[in-house]
Amino acid sequence: MITEEFEPTTDTVEEEASVEACTKCTACNTVCPVARSTDIFRGPKALGPDMERFRSPQEAAVTPGLDLCSGCKLCEVTCPSQVSIQEYIRRAQNQGAREKGRSLRDWVLGRTRLLGRLGSMTAPLANFGNSNPLFRVLMERFVGIHRRRPLPKYQWLTFERWFKRHPRPVKSRRKVAYFYGCWVNYNDRRLGERAVAILERNGIEVVVPHQQCCGIPAVVNSNMDLARRYGQQNVRHLTPVAQEMDIVASSTSCGLMLKHDYGHLLDIPGSERLGAKTYDIMEYLWMLHEAGELDTDFQTVPMRLLYHAPCHLKSHGIGYPAMRLLRLIPGVKLEEVDEGCCGISGTFGVKVEKYDLSMKIGRRLFDAVKAAGSDYVLADCETCRMQVEHGAGATSAHPLEILAKAYGHG
Amino acid sequence: MKTDVAVIGTGLSALAAARTVQQAGRQVVLVWPGLSSLYFLFATIDVIGYPTATATESVADPAEAVARLITREPSHPYARAGMDAVHAGTRLMLEWFKEAGLAWQGALNRNFLLPTATGTPKPCCLAPASMTAGDLSRPEPIVFCGFTGYQDFAPELAASNLKRQWGAADVSAIRVTAPGYGPDRLFTSVDLARSFEDATFRDAVAAQLREHVSGDGARVGVPGVLGLTRPGETFAAFQEAVGHPVFEIPTVPPSVIALRLFDRLRKHLQEAGIEIIWAAPAHAAQVTDERCRSVLLKAAGHEFPVEAASYVVALEDWVDGAFRAGVHTVRDPFFHEPITWNKVPTDRTAESLFSTQPFEQVGYALTDRLQPADENGKPLARNVFCAGGAMAGYDPSGTKSRGGMAIATGYRAAREALAA
Ligand SMILES: Cc1cc2nc3c(=O)[nH]c(=O)nc-3n(C[C@H](O)[C@H](O)[C@H](O)COP(=O)(O)OP(=O)(O)OC[C@H]3O[C@@H](n4cnc5c(N)ncnc54)[C@H](O)[C@@H]3O)c2cc1C
Ligand code: SF4
Ligand code: SF4
Ligand code: SF4
Repeated sequence: MITEEFEPTTDTVEEEASVEACTKCTACNTVCPVARSTDIFRGPKALGPDMERFRSPQEAAVTPGLDLCSGCKLCEVTCPSQVSIQEYIRRAQNQGAREKGRSLRDWVLGRTRLLGRLGSMTAPLANFGNSNPLFRVLMERFVGIHRRRPLPKYQWLTFERWFKRHPRPVKSRRKVAYFYGCWVNYNDRRLGERAVAILERNGIEVVVPHQQCCGIPAVVNSNMDLARRYGQQNVRHLTPVAQEMDIVASSTSCGLMLKHDYGHLLDIPGSERLGAKTYDIMEYLWMLHEAGELDTDFQTVPMRLLYHAPCHLKSHGIGYPAMRLLRLIPGVKLEEVDEGCCGISGTFGVKVEKYDLSMKIGRRLFDAVKAAGSDYVLADCETCRMQVEHGAGATSAHPLEILAKAYGHG
Repeated sequence: MKTDVAVIGTGLSALAAARTVQQAGRQVVLVWPGLSSLYFLFATIDVIGYPTATATESVADPAEAVARLITREPSHPYARAGMDAVHAGTRLMLEWFKEAGLAWQGALNRNFLLPTATGTPKPCCLAPASMTAGDLSRPEPIVFCGFTGYQDFAPELAASNLKRQWGAADVSAIRVTAPGYGPDRLFTSVDLARSFEDATFRDAVAAQLREHVSGDGARVGVPGVLGLTRPGETFAAFQEAVGHPVFEIPTVPPSVIALRLFDRLRKHLQEAGIEIIWAAPAHAAQVTDERCRSVLLKAAGHEFPVEAASYVVALEDWVDGAFRAGVHTVRDPFFHEPITWNKVPTDRTAESLFSTQPFEQVGYALTDRLQPADENGKPLARNVFCAGGAMAGYDPSGTKSRGGMAIATGYRAAREALAA
C-alpha cells in the first residue's frame, strides 16, 4: 500500500524520466520541420520517446532516418508535457556514430576552433578556396560539403587578439564576461566589437575570460565526448568568473549550451552554477533596460527590418528580447517573419546529403522574406543569417548591429 | 520581464483573456509552455450541448440553457463568470476570428448538430464554416468519404452509426485514394492537410468524388484535412471542384481544424506585437502582502521572472499536467497550495469511463472575482485571476460546455485583471 505523502519539493517522475510523460499526442510531429519536408523521416515522437523505450546504454537502437533530425528542438518547445525529445534523439545519434564511426567531415565540422584557427591563419587562401568552384567540387566529392553552400569567410585578426589591444574603459558600473563563440572570433569580429561597444556605452566593463568552443558543433556532429570535453573546460574556466559577474553570449546556440545543455545533455557536473549566470546578450540588455540602466538616447534608424526568431532562441524560454529592444529605437519598422525553421541548423545544411532538404525546409521562410522586402533580416543565430542570405538573397544582421547603429556606430 | 497583465496558458481561455487585454489597450504577455488541449480540441466551440450531465435531449438555445444553469448552480463557472461575460466573450471571439481571417459561424441562440468521426450527432454552438454543411437539421443526403490507408477516419463506421443513432436513411460511405499515399506510408491528418494545399492533389481527389457521388443535392463529409495554412481558399477550391456541398469532420489528434485556429490566433497576436514566451512553464508565484509580485518561469539555465500588475492563470487541470497529484494531495504549479482532493483514492474515479469523473472536479476554489482562494475563501493573491479548466467543482464533459466556459471565464478573468 502506498502511504507516502506527496513531497512538493521533489521532482515528479516525469521530470526524471520524461519518456513517461509522453501522452502520444503527436503535437511534436506537427511542428517538426524535417517531417514536414520529407516523408522518410519518422518524426520526433517515434524517434524520441517511442524508440527510447527500446534503447539502453548497451544498445543504441539506431533507426533509419535518425541522422535526419536537425536538432532544432522545435518538438521540445511544442510538447505539452515537456518531454526531452531531442535529447533522446541526440544520444542515440551519438551512440550510432560511436558504433559506426564518424566520417572525416563530421570529425572536422565538430571542431570549429581548429577550423577557425587554420582558416584565420590562412585567411586569404582559405576564403579563396571556399569560394572557388573547382575546389568546391573536390570538397563535395572528398569531404561531403555541398558545393552550393556558401561557407563563412575567415578573418585574419581574431576577436581574441583584437580584444587584447582594446583599451579598458576608465569608469564602469559593473563588469560582465563575454562568451564570444567561434563565429565572432574567427568569422565576424565586428559583431564582437559591437557587443563590446554597446556594453561599454552602458557603463559596463567587458571581460573576456579564457574560453573554449561551446561544443555545439561537436554535439550536432554526434561527438558528445568531444563536446563534453569542451564543456568541462568552459565550466572550469568560467565558473569562478560567474561567481563575480554575469556572462553574456551573442550566439543563441552557444548561450543555450552554457545555460542548459551542459547540465542536461552532457551531464557535466557543476555546470548549473555557470548556466544560472549566463544570459543571451539581448536578454541581458533588456534586463538593463527594465532596471532603468540602458541608455536609450538612440538616433533614428529609418529601416524596415524583418526578424526571424532562431529555433534555439525559443528553447531559451525568454521570449524575443531583440524585438523588444529594437522597438525602442525611433524610425525602426520591425516585423516578425514567423515561418519557422530556416533549415540550416548549424552544420546540418552544409552536408552534401542534407543540403537539398535544408533548402526545402527553409523555403517558406525564403518566400516570406522575399515577399516582404526589407533592409535587413535579423536573427540572433549566425547560421540562420547565412541561410537567409543564401536562400532569400537578403542582407542579414545580428540585432546588435541595429542597436549599434542607433548608438551611432556605423 | 515587465508587463501590465501576464496570461499563463495556451488554451482558449488564455487566448480570450489575452485578446480582452489587448482590446483594452493594455500590454499583455503570454506564457506558453507547449501546445494546449486546444490542439486536441474537436474544433468547435461548445457553449452548452446538454442541460445537465445526464440529459439525453440536446440544447436548442444555448443562451437560455446557460441562464438556467446559472440559476440552478450558483457555483458553476458560468455562474461565476456571469451571463454578461458569456455574451461579451463570445462576441469578442467571433469578431476576432473575423479580423484574423477565420470564417466561423454560429450564434448563442442556436446549436448546430454536427456528426463526429464516429457518426455521433454532437451539439455545438460555434463552428468553422467548413463544417456547418454537416448540420443534421438539414435534409440533404450525406456521403461520408474516407481515404484508403488513412486510419483516422472510417466512413463506413460514421455512416452506420449515424443511421443507427439519428435514424437518417440517406447516409452512405465511400473511400477514395489519396495520390502519393501508398499502403507502406505512415501518415497523419497533418500530412494530408499539407497535400490538400496542392491543386493537383486536390483535383485528383475531387475527380474521384465527382465520379462516385451521384445523387443530386448530396453533401460530402470528409475528414478535416482540407488545408492547414490557407484553409479558406483550400476549402473553397475543393468544394468547387467536387461540385457538392462539402463539410469537414474533425479527426482524432492532431486535429487539423484545431491547429488552424490555434496557429492563426497565435500569429495574429504576435503580429500585433504581443509577446509569447515559449518553452518556459510557470512554476512559482512570488506573493508578498497578498499580491503576486512575479511568476517564475522555468527557462533554460535560470528562472525567468514575469512581473505583471495582474495575472490570469488559464490552466487546464489534468490534461496538461498543470496540477501534480500525490496520494493525498494535489498541488498547483504556482502557489504550491494543497487543493481539495477526495480523501479516499477509490472515490476519485467513477466506474464507467464515460460518466462524470470526480477527479475532474479538482481545481482552485474561487472568490466571486475568480481569484484562487484558500479553504476559508480568502484570495491566495489579490491580483491573480483564474480562467478555464483549473476551476474547482465542475466537469464540463457531460454538459459539453468546455469551450464556452473557457471563453466566458477567460474574458471575465481578464476584465478583473484589468480592474485590479
Ligand atoms: C480530445 C479533446 C477534445 C475536445 N473537444 C472539444 C470540443 O470539441 N469543443 C470544446 O468546446 N472543447 C473541447 N475540448 C475541451 C478543450 O480542452 C477546451 O475547450 C479548451 O481548449 C479549453 O481551454 P483552456 O484555456 O481552459 O485550457 P487548455 O486549452 O487546456 O490550456 C491550459 C494551458 O495551461 C498551460 N499550463 C499548464 N501548466 C502550466 C504551467 N506550470 N505554467 C504555465 N502554463 C501551464 C498549458 O500549457 C495550456 O496551455 C476537448 C478537449 C480534449 C482533450
Ligand atoms: S508532443 Fe510530447 S507528449 Fe506529445 S507525442 Fe510528442 S513527445 Fe509525446
Ligand atoms: S529537433 Fe527538430 S528536426 Fe529533430 S525531431 Fe525535433 S523538431 Fe524534428
Ligand atoms: S539555424 Fe536558426 S532557424 Fe535554423 S535550425 Fe538553427 S536556430 Fe533554427
